[in-house]
Amino acid sequence: MNEQIAPMTSRQRVLAALAGRPVDRTPVCCPTSVATVELMDLVDAPFPDANRQAEPMARLAATAHTILGFDSVMPVFSIIQESSALGCKMQWEGKDNWPTVRMSEPIWDSPDDIYIPNDLTSHPDTKCVLDAIKLLRRDLGDDVAIIGKTMGPWSLAYHCFGVEKFLLLSLDDPEATKEILHKLKKVTIDFGNAQIEAGVDALTLPDHATGDLVSGEYYQRYLRDLHIEFAERIPCPLILHICGRTVDRMGFIAETGMAAFHYDSKNQPGESMDAVQGRIALAGNINNPETLFSKEPDDVKAEVFANLEAGVQMIGPECAIPLQTSIANLRAIPEAVQEWHARQ
Amino acid sequence: MAELSDVQNQTIRDEIEEYLERPEEIARFIELFARAKPALQDIAAAIIEGDDDATDSLTAQALADGIEAIEIMDDGLIGGMGIVGIKFRENFVFVPEVLSCARAMRAGMAHIEPILSAAGVEKHGTVIMGTVKGDLHDIGKNLCIMMLRGSGFDVIDLGVDVAEDTFIDAVEESGAKVLGMSALLTTTMPNMGRTIEAFIDADLRDAVQIMVGGAPVTQEFSDDMGADGYGADALSCVAVAKELMSAVS
Repeated sequence: MNEQIAPMTSRQRVLAALAGRPVDRTPVCCPTSVATVELMDLVDAPFPDANRQAEPMARLAATAHTILGFDSVMPVFSIIQESSALGCKMQWEGKDNWPTVRMSEPIWDSPDDIYIPNDLTSHPDTKCVLDAIKLLRRDLGDDVAIIGKTMGPWSLAYHCFGVEKFLLLSLDDPEATKEILHKLKKVTIDFGNAQIEAGVDALTLPDHATGDLVSGEYYQRYLRDLHIEFAERIPCPLILHICGRTVDRMGFIAETGMAAFHYDSKNQPGESMDAVQGRIALAGNINNPETLFSKEPDDVKAEVFANLEAGVQMIGPECAIPLQTSIANLRAIPEAVQEWHARQ
Repeated sequence: MAELSDVQNQTIRDEIEEYLERPEEIARFIELFARAKPALQDIAAAIIEGDDDATDSLTAQALADGIEAIEIMDDGLIGGMGIVGIKFRENFVFVPEVLSCARAMRAGMAHIEPILSAAGVEKHGTVIMGTVKGDLHDIGKNLCIMMLRGSGFDVIDLGVDVAEDTFIDAVEESGAKVLGMSALLTTTMPNMGRTIEAFIDADLRDAVQIMVGGAPVTQEFSDDMGADGYGADALSCVAVAKELMSAVS
């Protein structure tokens, strides 16, 4: 415990970390999703209902705090709510699989095809998120941070144009690519602002310009300015999420004015902290498939300690976790944070 | 032993000099392109530059000039993609650039494949490929398939979102000895392990060699699941497939 800081609620802790202010202990956050099949069973909120109906969505989201002991909750478990509202072909799947967009059946072919309905945030698959946020605020009060999620235009373009087609376009026609991103940013801003109105404390903004697909130079060329614009036009702390190796673009990300960057275990905590130089907080980066899914609580704790030693400001899984991850391994994250601070 | 100056095409020389770092790879590509006909060096250069129009016309011209289809494929198309694969592995280029080069390779292969099929060229064997259940990503899988076909394998592409039973049925029906599974998401990677377990439960695990790959997949994860091979990229996929195929032949 930091004895100079008065004990904080979970919400105060998360908001302080996002604002770069001192905290009583490092917050444990889930900027993407910690939904699991075990948790679905415990609160009777299985997929796909929990992705499409406000009440099971809120019940499942709350378990991040009530059962796992995280400082934040996240009602948007997937990355497809806006894409469904835009008309993408969906595969909602069952309890043990994630909903996905059928990207092999893209809905648009050129920037001229883009149509963003005025009632995007009243579509059932976006409205359920707004309703779930209100339920969470009603049930959890002001003690727990509620983080929402609004997808960035790069990710939306994958869904609406198809990954391969969009990536080829980015090489063949940079101007058309920029036009697509410019048009799609309305979705990001409108859904983000609607969630703020519904009561979120912060928003995760996934925009998958990952090092597994594109270069750091691509991030600078296509996304840095848009992300700066989001930080200016969406009035709450933003947590950018990009999977994969991202150290080569963390310097650019740190210039965006966003509050935090949710980073992947392919990046070491120390090198990542060096890359951002305190200009943006980091959240992450406990490995999902090899650690949280496959190993034991002590292995999870070792990764938490490595992040804390490096000074990472918010601790959590690197990305949305596999649905079969054990509760014991997830609980090990807040336990490890408590243990580490007790030793300081 | 060939020297870099023995390679006629300037683009190829520049690529070898600028992007290849491992001595054995430098030697292999100098050797390849020093003996490759100038027209095939030009095809390889067009592939590296992602120029599908040039690859299309150069391949057609090479065939018209009487160069054997298999030689065009090996020295021109696959030779060019070999350098692209190394540049990708070393992060000199990323997926958009690789897709562009793959598009060029497809333009060349469109001329070559019908000729090889008609000639009944003997294949290395059959590989079944698919992206696991719950995952709809196919870029990496498709690049692997293109390289496998270009390298002389028959490939059965099961597509994306492939259930365990579908993999099993495909192995039983085709008798293929090598199976490749892909996943792009950490949330779907566990389905690779489940598929391997399903093969064990079906008493078919010994009937097939299983290789895995995909951006978040690692050698450690592959070993933990009990896969027989792991490939970090499309180039390694071909090498692993050859190794696994030779193990069962």
